[in-house]
Amino acid sequence: MRRRCCGPPRLGMPPGDDPTVSPTGGRHAPSAPDDLLASLEGTVRGSVVATTPASRLQAREASTSPLGLHWAEPSAAPTPRRILALLLPRFRVERLRRPGPVAVWAQHGSRRHVVSVSAEAEAAGLREGQALADAQAILPEVMLAPEDPAGDAAALERLALWALRFTPLVGLEGDDGLVLDITGVEHLFGGEAAMRSEVLGRLARMGLSAIGAVAGAAGVAVALVRAGWSGLVPPGREQATVAPLSLAALNLQPALVSALQGLGLRDVGSVAAQPRAGLVRRFGAGLARSLDEALGHATRPIAPIRPPPEMAVSRDFADPVVTREGIEAALGGLLDDLCRALRDTGLGARRMLLRTSRVDGAVQEIAIGTGLASRDPAHLMRLFHGKLESLAPECGFDRVTLEAPVTDSLTGVQGGLGTAGRMTRREELAQLIDRLSQRVAVWRLAPQASHWPERAVRRIDAFEPMETPESWAVRPRPVRLLRRPPYIAAVALLPDAPPSLLRIGRQALRVVRAEGPERFEPEWWRDRSGRKLRDYYRVELVSGARLWVCRIGLAEAGTEARWALHGHLP
Amino acid sequence: MSTPPTQAPLDRPALISALRARIARMERAGASEALAARGENAIPLAAAIDAGLPWGGLPRAALHEILAAEPGAAAGFAALVLARAGGTVLWIAPEPDAWPPGLARFGLSPAQLVLVRAPRRQDALWAMEETLRCSAVGAALLVADELDLTAARRLQLAAEAGGVLGLLLRPDEDSAAPTAALTRWRIGAIASDSQSAHELGDPAWSLDLLRCRGGRGGAWRATWHEGQANLVTEDGARRNAPARRRA
Repeated sequence: MRRRCCGPPRLGMPPGDDPTVSPTGGRHAPSAPDDLLASLEGTVRGSVVATTPASRLQAREASTSPLGLHWAEPSAAPTPRRILALLLPRFRVERLRRPGPVAVWAQHGSRRHVVSVSAEAEAAGLREGQALADAQAILPEVMLAPEDPAGDAAALERLALWALRFTPLVGLEGDDGLVLDITGVEHLFGGEAAMRSEVLGRLARMGLSAIGAVAGAAGVAVALVRAGWSGLVPPGREQATVAPLSLAALNLQPALVSALQGLGLRDVGSVAAQPRAGLVRRFGAGLARSLDEALGHATRPIAPIRPPPEMAVSRDFADPVVTREGIEAALGGLLDDLCRALRDTGLGARRMLLRTSRVDGAVQEIAIGTGLASRDPAHLMRLFHGKLESLAPECGFDRVTLEAPVTDSLTGVQGGLGTAGRMTRREELAQLIDRLSQRVAVWRLAPQASHWPERAVRRIDAFEPMETPESWAVRPRPVRLLRRPPYIAAVALLPDAPPSLLRIGRQALRVVRAEGPERFEPEWWRDRSGRKLRDYYRVELVSGARLWVCRIGLAEAGTEARWALHGHLP
Repeated sequence: MSTPPTQAPLDRPALISALRARIARMERAGASEALAARGENAIPLAAAIDAGLPWGGLPRAALHEILAAEPGAAAGFAALVLARAGGTVLWIAPEPDAWPPGLARFGLSPAQLVLVRAPRRQDALWAMEETLRCSAVGAALLVADELDLTAARRLQLAAEAGGVLGLLLRPDEDSAAPTAALTRWRIGAIASDSQSAHELGDPAWSLDLLRCRGGRGGAWRATWHEGQANLVTEDGARRNAPARRRA
């Protein structure tokens, strides 16, 4: 069994200094759950891609973080980034997974034209921008599908989730591209070239044709693939590689491209050679921006589809996991690993995300949340337990990843000490509420500054702190407030007198005593207009039962008052 | 039995009560362990009622059934028990309508009350059982329409394991059905002793102890004095009087 660890951004520190980062590091000893897995699944290839404490340390020392969100400390030298950009030119057609020639068409006004064609259809003479009738005439057997931009976006996002298996930092690029920050992870795949070919190879196995380029900046890599260039750019050679590319690299409006070509500027280098002031004055700042990004002068941020997790562990399976037992065993092993890493850093997870990649590229996610930070594998396993049913393995999962996107600091509590008793009780209670809230709704009601009965309390999370004001609930109030107060009929001697007889359903109930009225005016600052005031009475029936009833609206002679039963008094 | 038969006629009541206590200890072996770990004892209600209960109050680590002859009075009594149990309490119901502004008058603060909405029956039972097994909880209440004997027995065992007081709040329907709970109460409202037609006065309840394992049933009429925060029973002479009095 092979097991590797790394911090995705390997920044600044020589590998030998950090045992968890070093590929020859000491984490080779297989643990018991791994052996179980090995016996279950045959050949198991496991890898732990963890943003471990080491990488946190590094991130602090390093000049840039994976996102470029943290800036360099003055002393540290900038670390070169490596970005892999992928362009899937035929994604809209190939994601349909249909055999034979396929074309996707769109309607613009009354004109129907082809927007994307498969390789077979292109060989037969179909082109993008062709009228739909022409395409059908050229190739009558072509399968036509209407355009579905929402479906394309969703499919691309699923593909981006799939790409998380290579690096924790994956961003979407337009509607047909992906950007992967591969800084510090390429050695897991045997170098940049091997990694690139593995990504392309896996995409090809999923039936997607792609172009991939690796460069030192996201803008450069994207420009390269947009122009159809594919390969690796060694550090420092970005400008020389981009300069001879066509204007397609800049991803400009078609009108702007033809205007530039009309001036004789046919490649990126010749546009960049023009005086900048004139270019901006004539074509706007957008051109200058995309030019800078393409040449690597300006950084282009990657918006990751999932925030990079604080911690993550994952396992790959040569033999896909299909059974529930297999998934549970895999999850158990991952939980042990992640909880160990959490303990080493003094953290506890507040949220956990289990991401399973199916063999066919589909990605499924399950999330759990805890009220208090936790790193107890048994407790977390119980929380996952009820949710594993929602996974659909079908042909099996070949990769399972467990992440802790949200963590809190959690210092160790020494067991067996008298002082720890209260802490353990609190922890036990938190675990109970966690377990309950995975299956049913759990909340508390906190007092709120409002006199309107429905708004006197508000729902809060069971773990949120709450304050009860001193003079709260001094007046007698019902112990049970009906969620849907039924309308009742009441008989009163005078229009604004307390009721002397209530009719609830078919029962006529004589009122012996009544206290009130207590008038509630609607809160004009938060109510809808037209809400009526209410006069509440506390009444006691002959049987001794006490009710909280109200008259809705002002009592006026000649009109029938509406009454409602709102609660039960003790 | 170590007691020689010759002694039996001499002190019969003492012997019977000793045997009863012994059986009770054997029956609730798990509960006594859980309680010993927590060092807490029965929950006091009112002096007269406590004297009538073999445990000197409402014991923890057990399930108690409350039949609501009147919803408000039953909820008030349940709130009183929950508040006296202390700690975090859970209110599990298909649609929990407990309202803290009213419950606070029985000493149940909103900070200690956790509401659980379980529309499906099996979810509610599961949540109640999990809660009763967790010794960090003070008490738990389950609002249920009907409960079969097996489910109730499960809850009773869970309460014994966790040392938690469990309440079952049910509508007053078939009080003859068997129960696995330790006690069964029927809580109704009675007219208060207020003399005015414009003042309700303190809430008055009829507390009927219908079943009590290891003890005798009883009936009390009690008034909740809010200012003193205690439950006051009326004098013993009216203990078995018909629960009706016109104002």
